[in-house]
Amino acid sequence: MKKFNDSYRGPGLAMPRRTLLKGGAIAGLAGIVGAPFINRLHAKEAHPLAGKKIDMNILGIAGWLPSSLGVKMSPIFADYVKERFGYEVSFGFAEAPFSDLFQKAATSLATKSQEYNIIISDSQWLGALAKPGWILKLNDVIAKNKELQIDWYSNTITEAYQVYPDGSKDLWGLPQEGDTIALFVRKDMLADPKEQQAFQAKYNAKLPQTFEDFENLTMTEFEKVAEFFTRPDKQLWGTAMQYSRVYDFCTCYLYPFMWSQGGEVWDPKTGQVEGILNSATNAKAMEQAKGWLKYQPPGALNYGIAEEIDVFTQGKVFSCFQWAAVGLAMITPQNKDKVMVVPPPKHGTGAAAKRIYTVGGQPWVINAFNDEAKMRVALDFMKWWYLPETTLEFAKRGGNPCDKATLSNPNFDKINPWGRAYKYMLEPGRSRDFWHDPKYSEMLALQQEGFTSYMTGQTASATQALDYIACGQQQILHDEGVAKTAPSGKCSSVSL
Amino acid sequence: MSSMHAGSIGRKPGIAGMFDYRTRLTISLLAPVLLFFIVFNTIPTLWLLGLSFYNYSLTSGMPPEFIGFRNFVQIFNNRNGIWFDLSRTFLFVGLGVTIQTSLGLLLGFLFWGSKAMPGRRIALTMLFTPMVLTPVATGTFFRFIYDPDFGVLNSILHGLFGMQPIAFLTNPATAYWSVLAVDCWMWTPFMTLMTLAALGSVPKAELEAAEVDRIPWHKRLTLVVWHHGKFILMLGVLLRTIDSFKTLDLIIPMTKGGPGQATRLVAMELNKQAFESFNIGWSSAYSVLLLLVSIAMTSVFIYILNLRRRRRA
Repeated sequence: MKKFNDSYRGPGLAMPRRTLLKGGAIAGLAGIVGAPFINRLHAKEAHPLAGKKIDMNILGIAGWLPSSLGVKMSPIFADYVKERFGYEVSFGFAEAPFSDLFQKAATSLATKSQEYNIIISDSQWLGALAKPGWILKLNDVIAKNKELQIDWYSNTITEAYQVYPDGSKDLWGLPQEGDTIALFVRKDMLADPKEQQAFQAKYNAKLPQTFEDFENLTMTEFEKVAEFFTRPDKQLWGTAMQYSRVYDFCTCYLYPFMWSQGGEVWDPKTGQVEGILNSATNAKAMEQAKGWLKYQPPGALNYGIAEEIDVFTQGKVFSCFQWAAVGLAMITPQNKDKVMVVPPPKHGTGAAAKRIYTVGGQPWVINAFNDEAKMRVALDFMKWWYLPETTLEFAKRGGNPCDKATLSNPNFDKINPWGRAYKYMLEPGRSRDFWHDPKYSEMLALQQEGFTSYMTGQTASATQALDYIACGQQQILHDEGVAKTAPSGKCSSVSL
Repeated sequence: MSSMHAGSIGRKPGIAGMFDYRTRLTISLLAPVLLFFIVFNTIPTLWLLGLSFYNYSLTSGMPPEFIGFRNFVQIFNNRNGIWFDLSRTFLFVGLGVTIQTSLGLLLGFLFWGSKAMPGRRIALTMLFTPMVLTPVATGTFFRFIYDPDFGVLNSILHGLFGMQPIAFLTNPATAYWSVLAVDCWMWTPFMTLMTLAALGSVPKAELEAAEVDRIPWHKRLTLVVWHHGKFILMLGVLLRTIDSFKTLDLIIPMTKGGPGQATRLVAMELNKQAFESFNIGWSSAYSVLLLLVSIAMTSVFIYILNLRRRRRA
């Protein structure tokens, strides 16, 4: 027995089996319970900013809900990094309206300032911010950080919010908010049996009722609906679009008429505008867009985003072509049971009918002049922004995430009334962006002048307005060295 | 020799010793102002002049390229339609200042001649209110007032005359005049103030003497009132002319230069090129030319003011 016992214990290891098992179990349990803390402790120690306090500044768009959401959610990020990485971060915010934000950002970045560490840029500014080297190129950053290698919902996201030059693989932005044009309609009016009967009697057709009905609707068919609800004597009009000269308002609403009917605005490979923008197709599209004014309130020529929200929420229009991003402002407690958000109609007829609308939304861009600490916080912020719980929280607060995982969630359509239409319009080929060229701002200002000149009747012919814009843009791109050909001789006699 | 020696006695050595107390005081009082002027005015103006000879876009990522007079040539060749802008601006300045001066004179004489009027001070305070508002706020107010859907002006017109809504700011036929009307609303009080200041500078004794001598009112006006008040009044006209030539902040919230180009004045195009398109070289050249126009206008006014004095000399 003694011999047996001695041989079992071995030299110097006198521990009974039960004690050994108990000890193992306790150690295992302690390991399981303590693992997160050990991990956190490890993380805190590993992060180079642990124990530090960093002040960051975000520049965003004034009066723009998705931009303010990015800002309002930043305290969640502050809690997250404090707990996870052990450093403190506080955010300061600056903002300017769409039309002035680029100016505010550019004048600061041109002095190599890190006044704004993270900027909510508009998608078209990528070129203007990237070419002078003001913002951080993200290819390497994304390659090194798995958290930023995200499966986006469609190519539209990458093309609109990330890439400059168009068609290249250079990435400069990460989507802050996706956005598309949607059609907000008064479903209570559509559901009214008297209206249905009257419409049937007048047009021998049924009023569209469901999302699917609108999915199949063409502009020609929708024109009847808009005409039907245009009753100026009752201060009611059929629809509202944007024709304002401010920023890109008129442009974003005119392009769908052009693109959906086969028109193009330029050739990004050669920088050619003349002969492409001023085509017969585009002239016809402009005439159509102008024709829609008769179904809109008298002040429609001045409508931008805010004016559309006003007329729709005040019940002056039956429908409104509006950015999905402002869904929260369009759908108020008073009208929430009366509104349906659907895809905007197709252009053309039959199988050839298409809908290609302008994409909205904004990317995050990171100031290239950030010091090491601020750059690190900016990257932590980006990684946090695309965590599943953050994107879901963003959606619940009224934002439009862009990642496939969130948008493919079966519950996504139910989070916001416009979610389904937004997702539908993000499908490949249904929405697109325009020029990410550094000369974007100059081209846009000229174009807005030409488009609104025609819309307001200062220029009588759409062709004349398009010629003016095409010649001007060709000159701008030629001076920039992007366009190979100079404006033609015809351009010397073109004016508004 | 002895006088030179005596003169140098008591004088401090160095630069301080070269000037007497009065000169040193003058220099020390002027120096900060001159320094401020040089740093914030002269150097930027020279910088602007230098940039006007370069092709420089802030967003191109390229260094400035010297191009000589090419920017100026482009402007003279009517690039971006600037001659149309100039003609619109001159009309805006001419009409605006004329209307504001006429109304300002009328109101000024009205208030000058009614010092016993009850509520005169309150009326004057209310009259001057538009002048103290910022043009951006005024422009925004009037955009809403003019609005065809919500605007109070269309409501009044509809209520009184049953008129259909007028798109004041989006109709090319009315936009320019609507903006001009707001400019007049805003700046007529300034000309009223200048008129009152001009009338206040007329010596009472001379007016009373003219009254005793039974000089007709129109002669009193030209020989006494105009003689004493013209400088202040013309100064008001000059300030308004220069200010009106730069009109920008009123137009941005109202029309943004539209519809089309209907309200695009020179400052609008300059703002667009400099701060939206970031064409720094071109807009510097444009600024230099506009500065020359402003100097020319000022010179004309000063010449007119000094005309009689020159004739006398």
